[in-house]
Amino acid sequence: MNPFYARRRRTSSIAMALCLGATIFGLAWLTLILFTLFWNGFAGLTVAMFTEMTPPPNAQGGGLLNAIVGSLILTVLGIGVGAPIGLLAGTYMAEYGRFSKITSVIRFINDILLSAPSIIIGLFVYGAVVVPMGGFSGLAGALALAVIALPVVVRTTEDMLLLVPTQLREAAVALGMPQSYMIRKITWRAARVGLVTGLLLAVARVSGETAPLLFTALSNQFWSVDLTKTMANLPVTINNFINNPDPNWKRLAWAGALLITLAVLSLNIVARSLSGGRNPK
Amino acid sequence: MTDMILQEGAVEAPTNAWRAKALASFKLGDSVFRLLAQIAAATVLLLLGGIIISLIIGAWPAISTYGFDFLTTQRWAPNARPNPVLGGLGPIYGTLISSVIALLIAVPVGLGISIFLTELCPQWLRRPVGVAVELLAGIPSIIYGMWGFFVLGPMLADSIEPAIVDAVENIPVLNVIFAGPASNLSLFNASLVLAIMILPFVTAIARDVFNTVPPVLKEAAYGLGCTTWEVVRRVVIPYTRVGVIGGVMLALGRALGETMAVTFVIGNSFRITGSIFGPGTTISAAIASEFAESRDLHQSALILLGLLLFVLTFFVLAAARLMLMRLERKQGV
Amino acid sequence: MNEMMRADALTHDSEGVKIAIRNLNFYYGSGKPSLKNINLSLLTNKVTAFIGPSGCGKSTLLRVLNRMYQLYPNQRAEGEVLLDGQNILGPGVDVNLLRARVGMVFQKPTPFPMTIFENIAFGIRLYEKLPKSEMDARVEEALRGAALWDEVKDKLDASGLSLSGGQQQRLCIARTVAIKPEVILFDEPCSALDPISTAKVEELMDEMSDRYTIAIVTHNMQQAARISDKTVFMYLGEMVEMDDTDKIFTSPAQKRTQDYITGRFG
Repeated sequence: MNPFYARRRRTSSIAMALCLGATIFGLAWLTLILFTLFWNGFAGLTVAMFTEMTPPPNAQGGGLLNAIVGSLILTVLGIGVGAPIGLLAGTYMAEYGRFSKITSVIRFINDILLSAPSIIIGLFVYGAVVVPMGGFSGLAGALALAVIALPVVVRTTEDMLLLVPTQLREAAVALGMPQSYMIRKITWRAARVGLVTGLLLAVARVSGETAPLLFTALSNQFWSVDLTKTMANLPVTINNFINNPDPNWKRLAWAGALLITLAVLSLNIVARSLSGGRNPK
Repeated sequence: MTDMILQEGAVEAPTNAWRAKALASFKLGDSVFRLLAQIAAATVLLLLGGIIISLIIGAWPAISTYGFDFLTTQRWAPNARPNPVLGGLGPIYGTLISSVIALLIAVPVGLGISIFLTELCPQWLRRPVGVAVELLAGIPSIIYGMWGFFVLGPMLADSIEPAIVDAVENIPVLNVIFAGPASNLSLFNASLVLAIMILPFVTAIARDVFNTVPPVLKEAAYGLGCTTWEVVRRVVIPYTRVGVIGGVMLALGRALGETMAVTFVIGNSFRITGSIFGPGTTISAAIASEFAESRDLHQSALILLGLLLFVLTFFVLAAARLMLMRLERKQGV
Repeated sequence: MNEMMRADALTHDSEGVKIAIRNLNFYYGSGKPSLKNINLSLLTNKVTAFIGPSGCGKSTLLRVLNRMYQLYPNQRAEGEVLLDGQNILGPGVDVNLLRARVGMVFQKPTPFPMTIFENIAFGIRLYEKLPKSEMDARVEEALRGAALWDEVKDKLDASGLSLSGGQQQRLCIARTVAIKPEVILFDEPCSALDPISTAKVEELMDEMSDRYTIAIVTHNMQQAARISDKTVFMYLGEMVEMDDTDKIFTSPAQKRTQDYITGRFG
């Protein structure tokens, strides 16, 4: 082996060793985080967590029932508002406005919204909903989550509908089918797995969001399903409990964090196994 | 001509008239659906406009009170008498510094992982590692914040940071940047948490971008006797440069606006210290920790910070998307 | 009518004209037309084959006849296409109704993502509200018409996608037939099929030819010769020649037609 070649080989090996090192380094941190989460959260994962209300400070026991229910309500409402609009907007982009300039503009703006800081969404909803309504409310929180879910659904809907072969559309139209009918009965159906994936990803994205709820839904310590008042929810409850020296609260916060993470991870896994791998960005 | 049509019509007209009627019943639904889709699409555009307008309205009192001084003032005293003194320099500085440090750490590591995933990793391991990385990108950011506060912060403050402080004690410049005392809450800790948080994100994008390199190109280079590193260095990276930069910008956009991972560990101090081991704050952390209890000018100043953050991320993200679009176009050709 | 017919040198007065194409130009965006001044007629219940090298405009022509081109912006047609004397390119034409009357079968089989039964019933339901028993009868009739009934009668609830390529194509034909069109356009219906499936589809087209006016685009010269009554040879967006199929394949009037048929180019 000539020395020049040997040197090239050596450089390559060193570079590749560094890449391997980076992988181990990166995965180690991430494993450590998950380990910490399980270590601290597992103890709190009890039946009481799902059946009892959030306890007052420096008490014993208690659970996260009101926060869990609140989070479910906010998520369902947020998705319920955001997903249909996102589905229709993505449908417009892929079907009606496929070749128009405006679609590229919408796609660009949507991509910006997709990565916009979620705390900004919180500020927006504060100005647009909380101030006019005269106070924090579950409704405001749900709307903030809807604004966050919307671009996720728009993006996946457009991507998935664009994957539907043109011939299928032509075949439907060739039967004299009106376009809206063709979209709803043929292209949506052909893309339904992808559309469900997008929905799940949106739910996953929304369910861990804390920042936009801090000053929209706020949170509270009691059972409340009134949408015009503050509403307990997991992320903000975790945020409040973890910053408090009370060990009981800390324990519940970790358990709640583990619960959210498990929910988000399983949603992601289901979405991924449905779509066969690729994460639509 | 007329009798021919009549003749034909006698057979076809009834069915066609009937079909035309059946089709007409779809007309209303068809236009309503189309209209709804158009409205939904317009909503996306209006949303962006709405966000900008609502932020400007909210920030207006602060803008008219402080003007450009807001950008250069470090003092943040919402309760000062007779008038509050509010300057955004501290959080702006903290936002930029923490994001830059986070990128300096996350980008090389993320690129390394994605090179490993696309070039080195045995086939059977690619999917599990890839999926693991993508899943980690979905973990809520508050988890990263909690971990940073309880695990990483103490770890750094007890061991690594004092060691660095001691090591650079007598080196000029460095002994300012890395000045002690080490603390659980610092700009550096926040940056590191941010770095770990955006790492899966950087990795996933870089891997996708690297996968856009046509296999023929790589095979051709290997065919010439190139080593793996040379293929990466001379083929993969040049081919994907625009996309990688776009991905990095996307990650930057994420780091700039990240709230919960940072708020826990940065210390929420509006004063700028030269040392990255000192506490600081970022725009999003400042908003997260103060907004709910703020009012009047204080609140307006926080919204102004939010507006600045939005403008900043808007340009970063816009640049990122334009670059990624350029790569996609190249792929399309 | 008579004047018009006389103007069309290729029409035999004794036979009915289903579709008359007059002075048709077609554009993909701006620039040169992709179809130049096409004049021809499709006769009622006859099979007309369109042959010519790739890109000669034969598929484009087919897509004008049911206004399929309209799905895409910047594509436009000028001139007249008369279906039973009515200009289908004119304003105020109900495009969906036109497509119900002029059905189309595509190059690749395109079963809808639903059951075999639903694939057929779906189109029927657009135009008719039928009770279950009648719908069953109509679906069976359509599947029989496409020579597919015996193969699928026991698995009507299976997905249309579970069929083989040739079966899928016949399903698509059944779907088209089910809504009782007057004209059926075939756009290279066999190019994605194996020889055995091709034979079945050809046989089917032959059988259908006494009930429908058929236009077929094909790259397969033997196929054109086997199944069509009239053949149109197109080249570079123009109609070079149209005549009885026998005549085109034995003694074409134009040299270019001769060259193409004998394989000298194309």
